[in-house]
Amino acid sequence: MNPRRDSLPWAAANTPGTHPGLPPRAGVGLKPAHVQAILEGAPDLGFFEVHAENYLVAGGPMHADLARIAKRYPLSIHGVGLSIGGADPLDPDHLHALRGLLDCYQPALFSEHLAWSTHGGVFWNDLLPVPYDRATLNRVCAHLDQVQETLGRRILLENPATYVEFADSTLSEAAFITELVARTGCGLLLDVNNAYVSCINHGRDVLAYLAALPLAQVGEVHLAGFHRDTDSSGDPLLIDSHGSAVDEAVWSLYAWTLARIGPQPTLIEWDNDLPVFDRLHAEARRADRLLMGLEAGLETAGDTARRISA
Amino acid sequence: MSGPAAWCAALLDPDREVPPGLSTWNGSDPAQRFTVYRNNVTVSLMEALAETFPVCQAMVGAPHFRDLARAFVRRHPPRSPVLARYGHGFADFIAECTLAAPWPYLPDLARLELACLDALHAADAQPLDPDALAAALGRPETLPSLRLGLHPSLATLGSPYAVVSLWAAHQGDGPAPAVNPDRPEQAWVLRRGRAVLVLPMSGGDCRFVRALQVGATLGEATATAAAAASDEDADAAGGFDLTRCLAVLLREQVLTGIT
Amino acid sequence: MNHITTAAALAIALGTAMTIAAAPTSAADTGAKEKCFGVALKGQNDCKAGPGTSCAGTSTKDYQGDAWKLVPAGSCEQTAAPKSPTGHGQLAAFKEKA
Repeated sequence: MNPRRDSLPWAAANTPGTHPGLPPRAGVGLKPAHVQAILEGAPDLGFFEVHAENYLVAGGPMHADLARIAKRYPLSIHGVGLSIGGADPLDPDHLHALRGLLDCYQPALFSEHLAWSTHGGVFWNDLLPVPYDRATLNRVCAHLDQVQETLGRRILLENPATYVEFADSTLSEAAFITELVARTGCGLLLDVNNAYVSCINHGRDVLAYLAALPLAQVGEVHLAGFHRDTDSSGDPLLIDSHGSAVDEAVWSLYAWTLARIGPQPTLIEWDNDLPVFDRLHAEARRADRLLMGLEAGLETAGDTARRISA
Repeated sequence: MSGPAAWCAALLDPDREVPPGLSTWNGSDPAQRFTVYRNNVTVSLMEALAETFPVCQAMVGAPHFRDLARAFVRRHPPRSPVLARYGHGFADFIAECTLAAPWPYLPDLARLELACLDALHAADAQPLDPDALAAALGRPETLPSLRLGLHPSLATLGSPYAVVSLWAAHQGDGPAPAVNPDRPEQAWVLRRGRAVLVLPMSGGDCRFVRALQVGATLGEATATAAAAASDEDADAAGGFDLTRCLAVLLREQVLTGIT
Repeated sequence: MNHITTAAALAIALGTAMTIAAAPTSAADTGAKEKCFGVALKGQNDCKAGPGTSCAGTSTKDYQGDAWKLVPAGSCEQTAAPKSPTGHGQLAAFKEKA
């Protein structure tokens, strides 16, 4: 139902499941406080990721630092303000500014969120949830088409962390995501922490949720720490706080996921209570060990298969 | 009201009912869960203001600043997803806010902090080749009609209060000297390399820069600044020193072109 | 003040300025004390969430009603001495009151 899709430049250039430029390694979010340590220590990392909106300024040290990092490492740009799930039309000025940023840095990936953050011209600075119904799905698909056309590339969309659900939702979150990925050709940024947080918060089976997602279209994985709170019934309410180490449950889900989708570029997000760079790097090394262990595991599986066939 | 409009109304007003149509898997109170979003919106924007206005926060104390910031966030939430631009109404807002009345210099202090942030993120520009200036000096008859290109980060700020000294007192780690705030001060704000500089200058010096920024020639800007300075009280703050202005423009590499 | 706009005056000022700007210790000569902006350079856009739901009134949990709705205008005067600010000393005093 989308005749333009195959004619778009990114449709041919960025085949789903491949990641030109971004290795299946661990990366971390770039923080200005860490730039000096990174430039001096030259840590062995797969990539760095930045929030697009922090670089929509004219010049100065933010751009100077990013340019130096981008010379040495692959780059992923992650938007936090497009409001793709919003009821209002997308902000054309913002979209245009993002296009300029991507043209400037040519990142290996651009991703955004299944959420809204702007309404009535006000930016709410939060990733607010959308109801999972047909009207919303059609609108998000139209916004995604517009974004991918304007940016001239396939983007990844991230599954959300949410704290409430909508009584009027008619689709499951996984079905909603599956259909919008199929209709727009966008990829999935699988945030395993968000998956865990949302499934705990809404009493869902997280393995069933993950298995129902379009895992073949995953182009990047996010891992982060959450904060544990309690709802009014005394059940756990997990907050996507990005302020601590990745939880053991999320590491387990990550390993489970890798076994199904193979090694993927994996970002450690740590935005609150920022640790020293070495601590953040240690978290990335743990992800790398799982990524590399998985590669060894696949080799073993391949060897086993050859032995059986022989 | 429903959908996002109901969300928006409830996000900033804790006295309002939470939006209709929310559900929870276990029958727990959706209103309590909605406070996560309220908290995120309000606190994250208050924190953005605290990061942009650290000296204002230090002057009034964190509790008072939180009250000011919360009131501003609710009255003037951001219109752009780029938070580096948020806070451009804060000075005017606190000028009208009874909470800030005890600190009459606070609005201008906020303007100075915002000027620093704007200078930090202003566009980059290459400084003028010194040879070009030497060539201009070799033809002195052309000097009055020259137009000077200035670095995009350069801004001027003046206040009836000693906001430059108050600001400077909060830049070091050690104990700050007492400052009498009831004294006019002016400054140039600019970025050199990675650092934003706040240079105490005279009111005449500021007029000189503002004239150049709107396209006046070197001769016109000099005449404007000198005439205005002579109209003022003998106060040194009003004085205009062309040599000092040119020396600072050169030394801080603010001069980006001559035409 | 017309004399200052003459080409000769500009030439003298510019020549002197170039000499001053080229000198290694020029700050005192220009009379402009420079202050470095101690900027905590950090991007302000994030996709994290705050720390939860409980209304503790701390710096990180602050969705409660406006204090300015509850505090009568002018009551701030009783808690601050803004006419003689002394930088960090005053900040410390505020912290004790908070």
